[in-house]
Amino acid sequence: MSDLLHEKLQLQIVTPEARAFSVACDEVRAPGIGGGFGVRPGHTPFLTLLSAGALSYVAGGREQTYAIAGGFCEVAENRVTVLADFAEEATAIDLAEAVRAHDAAVARMHALQHADQAAFRREAAEVRKAAARVAAAHARR
Amino acid sequence: MPSLRDIRKRIGSVKNTRQITKAMKMVAAAKLRRAQEAIVQARPYAQHMEQVLSSLASRARGGAEEAPHPLLAVRPLRKVELVLLTSDRGLCGGFNSNVLRRAQRFVAEGRGLDGQPYERIEISTLGRKGREFARRRRLAIRKDYVGIFEELEFAKAEGIAQELIQHYVDADLDAVFLLYNEFRSAISQRVSLVQLLPIAAQPVEPGAARPVEYLYEPTRRELLEALLPQHLAMQLWRAMLESQASEHGARMTAMDSASKNANDMISRLTLQYNRARQAYITKELMEIVSGAEALK
Repeated sequence: MSDLLHEKLQLQIVTPEARAFSVACDEVRAPGIGGGFGVRPGHTPFLTLLSAGALSYVAGGREQTYAIAGGFCEVAENRVTVLADFAEEATAIDLAEAVRAHDAAVARMHALQHADQAAFRREAAEVRKAAARVAAAHARR
Repeated sequence: MPSLRDIRKRIGSVKNTRQITKAMKMVAAAKLRRAQEAIVQARPYAQHMEQVLSSLASRARGGAEEAPHPLLAVRPLRKVELVLLTSDRGLCGGFNSNVLRRAQRFVAEGRGLDGQPYERIEISTLGRKGREFARRRRLAIRKDYVGIFEELEFAKAEGIAQELIQHYVDADLDAVFLLYNEFRSAISQRVSLVQLLPIAAQPVEPGAARPVEYLYEPTRRELLEALLPQHLAMQLWRAMLESQASEHGARMTAMDSASKNANDMISRLTLQYNRARQAYITKELMEIVSGAEALK
């Protein structure tokens, strides 16, 4: 077990649309369904659902932030695998614009209260995505 | 012997056909590229999901204290459903016929691995060709999803997965199978029959018991509740993408060989045309010469 503590974490982010992204890092912080959690090398096996928010990792003393929404995260043997519905690098996100997009998405979802299920699922996913971008833009600062 | 005009006409019509098949090949190639990208990107996600879920499922089954989740419970197969993925349009070589032949066999065999015959087989179809097939054979169609391939959306896969689960639970089905063309390359597809429900658990290797139990958040049960529908939607989504990429690949290949055949036909007809023309000229010359001979 001791060598696990000195290894690096291998973080992998996979979404249905984007190619898998993989990086070696020292620490990962992610928004779990029951609150945020941090992972360092040697973490016990862990499986959790994720809520929409900011995921960040530290590699070589530098912190990087991603907006992620939906999905889950598995930690096992120093591998952190994040399967998210949506992931975006946070550096390019403009906070004011993200907040506006979020408000618009919420308004759209409320507008179709009795619409069909598929449309509702689509809009709900949009809202989660927008919320994640807002959270990531906040976390970046 | 057809006249010169007849041959010329035929050459013209084959050229027209070649133009069409060439255009279709081009369109299929462009669509194939996009479909191929989509499938290559979706595969890692689906595979990871499958790994995590089957390991979760194999452990979820272990505990005797909890009843197995309905989507994981393995029972003898009596009532089954077959989800059939075909294309809406033809002119794509063996794409549909391969899948439909397999479907035919599935229905004809009508029994599971244990050798016991199924009591009931229901069919759901995605794609027009599958629906036509099921109607022709008078098979029990549960639901016919139309217009899926006009515009592929993940939300559609989610919706279908939701209905499948609902029906699986309501109708007391024992298994749901998925039959589709798996994309291997532009020129090759493989018919793939997979069991969608119940979700197969990873076989646990004897002696290789996991030393550390996972921590789950929320509980294992709740995780399963949340992930199983997602997983199903993802499997379906992947099959939809595979099928679509296969369709375009098959069409491209079919249209390519159709264009080649048209080329062959044109050169054969041209040869025939030239021969006929030459024969005609020779005949005329002979007539002129023999006419001149007679005047001497």
